[in-house]
Amino acid sequence: MKTLPFLILLALLLASCRTMPVIKAPAPSTEQINSACPAPFLKEPSRFVHTIETQMAGQTRGAVIGVTVADPTTRFISCAILTAEGIVLFEAEASPALKVLRALPPFDSVDFAENMIEDIKLIFLAPAGKMLAKGALADGTAICRYREQNGNWIDVLARIPESIEINKYSAAGCLQRRIKLNRTEENIYQRIELTAKEMFDYALTMTLLEVEPIDSEWTKREAEGGGK
Amino acid sequence: MNKKYFMIITLISVFLLPYSALADNFEQLRKDAAGIKTVQAVFVQKKQMKILSKPLISEGRFFYVAPNSFRWEYLKPLKSVIIFHKGETRRYLMSGGKMVEDKSGGVQAMSIVLGEVVNWMSGKFDANPSFKASLKEGANTLITLVPVGQNMAGMMEKIEIAVAKNTMAIRSVKIMESENAATLIDFSQVEINKAINDSLFRDVK
Repeated sequence: MKTLPFLILLALLLASCRTMPVIKAPAPSTEQINSACPAPFLKEPSRFVHTIETQMAGQTRGAVIGVTVADPTTRFISCAILTAEGIVLFEAEASPALKVLRALPPFDSVDFAENMIEDIKLIFLAPAGKMLAKGALADGTAICRYREQNGNWIDVLARIPESIEINKYSAAGCLQRRIKLNRTEENIYQRIELTAKEMFDYALTMTLLEVEPIDSEWTKREAEGGGK
Repeated sequence: MNKKYFMIITLISVFLLPYSALADNFEQLRKDAAGIKTVQAVFVQKKQMKILSKPLISEGRFFYVAPNSFRWEYLKPLKSVIIFHKGETRRYLMSGGKMVEDKSGGVQAMSIVLGEVVNWMSGKFDANPSFKASLKEGANTLITLVPVGQNMAGMMEKIEIAVAKNTMAIRSVKIMESENAATLIDFSQVEINKAINDSLFRDVK
């Protein structure tokens, strides 16, 4: 009888794990894959300012301002979270080593910092892992599948008619993040919807306030610590 | 004390400080503060950070009615309102096109720090050990507040308040958070003792 609660918990965990979809078409050569995969990711170093709304259980839990700098070449990331009042709640950079510059509660855990950097990479940078499959889902959605070095999976999908989806799965194939972008917007990062599958699921809606290209020399200096 | 909200309260507090901070002693401060019944102004806030190439600009407005009603409101880019009225603190955020109340625990903590602000409003600066104030005369009068104690450790280094010498109208507030981060607030359309509708402290609209 002692194993019953464990089995129930295991069943619940398995039931709550949304797994990777089956790709129908056979994978062509890597060159063919590269030429046709959805690629919403940054092509040049850029700085973004977004408003970010957080929702849990369908209710808004807060709204903040997010500043993100991302360089697709060096994969340097710098980010900050501010309140409407201008209070810096969190500031960090990854070059690639994570460096937390400021973290006030409830943003002061190491897990939060690591997850945030990983989410930013997922949104703005092309997957660093190897592309293993390309094809279409049963509904005709084009998809490319990547395997990250840590074993996680990333699917990039071009849904018809207008959205791009970036889905991250654990090594075991459970959905962890779903990013939705709208490719008909002037800037594909105009509106970003992120759904996180954690012990307590949450969702972020990011709305673009400002965007500008930045000098790659700046990110290089920052990555080397020269800007300190 | 909730550090997250301390700067909000500081923003509100320092705006009202100069009208009485120039007095010679705390007894005079209390007398001067008694003459302030209402204050309202609009403001432009410029947030400077190393990660930003140019300041992040926010705009808003502010209302105060003695003895303890506040409304500190950002109109853009992220609409939000903090209201302190009859001992109750509420914060609202724009979500899905409407204002929704922020129910996080930090809002309740604001009630405590706003209690401190009420002390300041009453000229009871000697009751609040959080800042050490100094004053420098020039084209504008510059008041510098340096936090003391651990309440704001890591939050800010100092606050500079510029006040017009003749009119006593506040010009700007600069909050130095660190070597690389500062918040500058420029006030305009400052009006003292002009009637303010009580509904501003009841309705968020």
